[in-house]
Amino acid sequence: MACFLAGAAQADPKEPIKIGVISEESAIPGAGISKGARLAVDTINAAGGIDGRKLEIVQYDDHSQAADAVRAFQRAVSQDKVVAVIGTYISEIALALQPWAARSHVPFITTGAASNEISKHIHDDYDKNKYTFHEFMASRFIADSVCDSIKQALQPHYSIKTAVVFSEDAAWTAPLDAEYLECLPKIGVKVLDHVRFSADTGDFTPLFNKIEGQRPDVIVTGISHVGVQPTVQWAQQQVPVPMIGYSGQATSGTFWNDTNGAAAGIVTFSVAAAGAELTAKTQPFVNDYIKHFGDAPVLTGFTTYDAVSVLAEAIKRAGSTDGDQLVAALEKTDYIGTVGRVQFYGRDNDFTHAMKYGPEFVTGTMLQWQNGKQVILWPRAAPQTKISFPAFTHLQRP
Amino acid sequence: MTDTIRALLTSRSVWIALVVLVVLSTLPWVVSAYILGVLTIAYYFGVFAMSWDLLFGFANEVNFGPSFLIGSGAYAAGLLNAHGVPMWVCLIAGGAAALLGGVVLAVPALRLTGPYFGLTTLVAVLLLQQFIIIFASSTGGEIGLTMNDILSTEAITNYWYALGFMTVCGAVLFALSRSPVGLILQASGQDRIGASALGFNVVKHKLAAFCISAVFSGLAGAMMVFYLGTASVGTVVDVSVGVQVIIAAVLGGRRTIVGAAIGSIFLILAGEALRPLGQLSTFVVSGVALLVILFFVDGLMGLLLRRREEP
Amino acid sequence: MLTVQILIDGFAISALYGLGAVGFTLMFGVCGVLNLAHGATMVVAAVTAWVVAGQYAANPWVAAVAGTAAGVLTAFATYFLVVRPIERSSSVPAAEREIFVLTGTLLWGIMIQEAVAYFYTDNPKTVRPLIAGIMQIGGVRTPINELVIAVICWAVIGLLWLLVNRSKAGKVLLAASINPRALSILGFELSRVYLLVWTIYGVLAGIAGVLLATFLGASSAQSSQLTASAFSIVVLGGLGSVYGSLLAAYVVGYLETLTAYLISPTYRTVPALVLLVLVVYVRPHGLLGRR
Repeated sequence: MACFLAGAAQADPKEPIKIGVISEESAIPGAGISKGARLAVDTINAAGGIDGRKLEIVQYDDHSQAADAVRAFQRAVSQDKVVAVIGTYISEIALALQPWAARSHVPFITTGAASNEISKHIHDDYDKNKYTFHEFMASRFIADSVCDSIKQALQPHYSIKTAVVFSEDAAWTAPLDAEYLECLPKIGVKVLDHVRFSADTGDFTPLFNKIEGQRPDVIVTGISHVGVQPTVQWAQQQVPVPMIGYSGQATSGTFWNDTNGAAAGIVTFSVAAAGAELTAKTQPFVNDYIKHFGDAPVLTGFTTYDAVSVLAEAIKRAGSTDGDQLVAALEKTDYIGTVGRVQFYGRDNDFTHAMKYGPEFVTGTMLQWQNGKQVILWPRAAPQTKISFPAFTHLQRP
Repeated sequence: MTDTIRALLTSRSVWIALVVLVVLSTLPWVVSAYILGVLTIAYYFGVFAMSWDLLFGFANEVNFGPSFLIGSGAYAAGLLNAHGVPMWVCLIAGGAAALLGGVVLAVPALRLTGPYFGLTTLVAVLLLQQFIIIFASSTGGEIGLTMNDILSTEAITNYWYALGFMTVCGAVLFALSRSPVGLILQASGQDRIGASALGFNVVKHKLAAFCISAVFSGLAGAMMVFYLGTASVGTVVDVSVGVQVIIAAVLGGRRTIVGAAIGSIFLILAGEALRPLGQLSTFVVSGVALLVILFFVDGLMGLLLRRREEP
Repeated sequence: MLTVQILIDGFAISALYGLGAVGFTLMFGVCGVLNLAHGATMVVAAVTAWVVAGQYAANPWVAAVAGTAAGVLTAFATYFLVVRPIERSSSVPAAEREIFVLTGTLLWGIMIQEAVAYFYTDNPKTVRPLIAGIMQIGGVRTPINELVIAVICWAVIGLLWLLVNRSKAGKVLLAASINPRALSILGFELSRVYLLVWTIYGVLAGIAGVLLATFLGASSAQSSQLTASAFSIVVLGGLGSVYGSLLAAYVVGYLETLTAYLISPTYRTVPALVLLVLVVYVRPHGLLGRR
């Protein structure tokens, strides 16, 4: 263990505080992480930093490979001397980094991965894994959010009684689907089938055909690695069943252009989005982000922006950058961010160190793409909001 | 035997290798744990590349799928370990599995030449990858397999294991390549008809070459996953792994064995040094490798050896 | 109903595979080059079409032409920057030339892939279908674009056939594929022949890339998969045989479609790979190969 301890550096007060950011730059959700982090650091530094010390980001691209991410983590800790690492939207990578955070006693906050396993490992072996924090909604809560939003925003207007669950085969979707299968029947939706496809599928025609044959009211999605292709093919083939649920790529501001408008009518969960007004900070952040980067933020942008602030507050609260002290300080987090009120579950909860889910905390939002814009449907839709599905779909009124 | 020893002592490559080894042995006292970690991976890659170079020198065929052999060994070891088999047994099993893979690969390959051989080896990798992904519930699929045991949690200990392993494998492979039998094989690789005319069973010897290359690759693959603590398609099976192995061997200098190890170390260090470039690091490394292929065909060893031959 | 669905989907995807494979096999048959930057070339064409359609708000046909042109340019870049220098290099032993070209194109393909990902991310790019909308065929709702793709692929292959069999340039190509040395002895400039082949290759790969973008979408992350797919088909059909590639493309296309519909999309690639293994063991020169 000795070699990887990041000592409690009693550093020169003028030295910048370094934060490592590990992301997948060539993927849209990944690029959102580094952008959100950069914006947060610029904002905090402009306001004076932390007790006079500036924050500095050390950026690493892991090329969507666990081995690269691990090496980046090792470098961040022992070479670049970061006080904490933020990053990755890929659950497999977050899970690979978790033991390294434990070995190096350096806090690791994942702001894009969803797998329940992340917080489960912390609950099961707290003393070892307490260094990891899950600042993104866990799959179980994403599913809950989707079910809650279907019930409150869609079912009043449409007859949604049957569904087919449609998700990619990845670490984060197993608990997502499991929760879908639990919560959908509770809102009166019968699950006709559960389709899981390989994450490198390119041709979705046979899948859509199969689903259509079962005549569900809706397709409930769990996709993130794919998004553009199934959406475009769904629109081209004019599949008469709307897609709602969670489509990670559809949360990005560029999705309309990426799909040449095929996104029309797609409904997706997002942790936060422009217009969601989850807190007073949501829209100003969106505006700031657009000013800096040109496009509206993808969901990882929101969570990473908040994570940096959460970390900064924890450093201030702890009065030090020592790993163990930071962990204790992070656990006391009560921060109003762009995604809601951020607090972490404790040791007694199964989801230790995950963000608390609930109307007073973080619920996520449900949005629909209409005419090139993301329109918020839930939890608070703007007064004149209409829900609009493409003409080729056949949803009935209740 | 004495011929072999004499050949080894007078070989310039051996002296270069010894110098490099001495330098590498001093590093744990000089550099950080992070760099030791990078070099540990580089040493395992060195064994991958040296095994590839042996096959290339003997069979005179380019194996485009060394990761088939590496992956077979790595996953066999990993899967057994995930079921509670002790580490040392897993390592041996890994070598054996790769050996089996080598034989399976050799059967069609030995009947083919040129592009068909290369394609067969590439297809083998794709098949292994698909196999692992389709049976994801047992193999961990794209996520990867977490091992129960790990070689060591200490960076320095891991470094010694890797350096020692590479040295032993390198010595054996190099001795093989320079032994009288080895030299004849090298010649037969380049002139099959001549060798047969001299009475050598070329097929039998090519098969032997495959098997040796396979065992070392598989064993190194197994060692590496026990170092990393996980076995995943991306680290031991993917075509890109094979590409890196070939680049390392060509960069270092084909048919020198020692060059392959040096090429691997250089390649992996360069990849890490370029990490600040972020997204573009792969681009730059591939670009450099391409330039080497275009302009420095004999690689690093070629540069080193040629210079010494000048009066 | 399902049968008609399978027939139609299989046809479209096979036609697309066929176009890519024909270019690949032609390159090997005439020039002896296995271009492992094939997938990357297709992706460049696809992404260019997307950029032109998006940035310049061009209609899909203009974007398609731009994409194809990008494919030709990439093909030329591959030839002049990688393949030709290696083939003319005096430090590469003759016996190893093929291997160096192979490795060189492999590296070049990786460079292209990374460059595309750097500028445009590895998110799949799509282009609006050339003709939008759906039509009913035998009771099956089919996007018109699928038919357009099949028609274009076969039209291009037909033009290629005319070129090879009815034009003088084509006859020279055919001769070069059989015996290049004899051809140069007879006074033909082999380099001109190669240039022609690379141009044809660029057009074929470019069109295939653009059509892929309108049908399924293409991303830089798929580059190696596309290359692997093309040469699996080409090996199956017989390296160098155009008819073989077309036949193999349809065999593979239908095998995949049948598997995806009748068994499960997860196992889509398995039967084709198994078939490939069998062929390599039993008849390594492919279904219609001649060497």
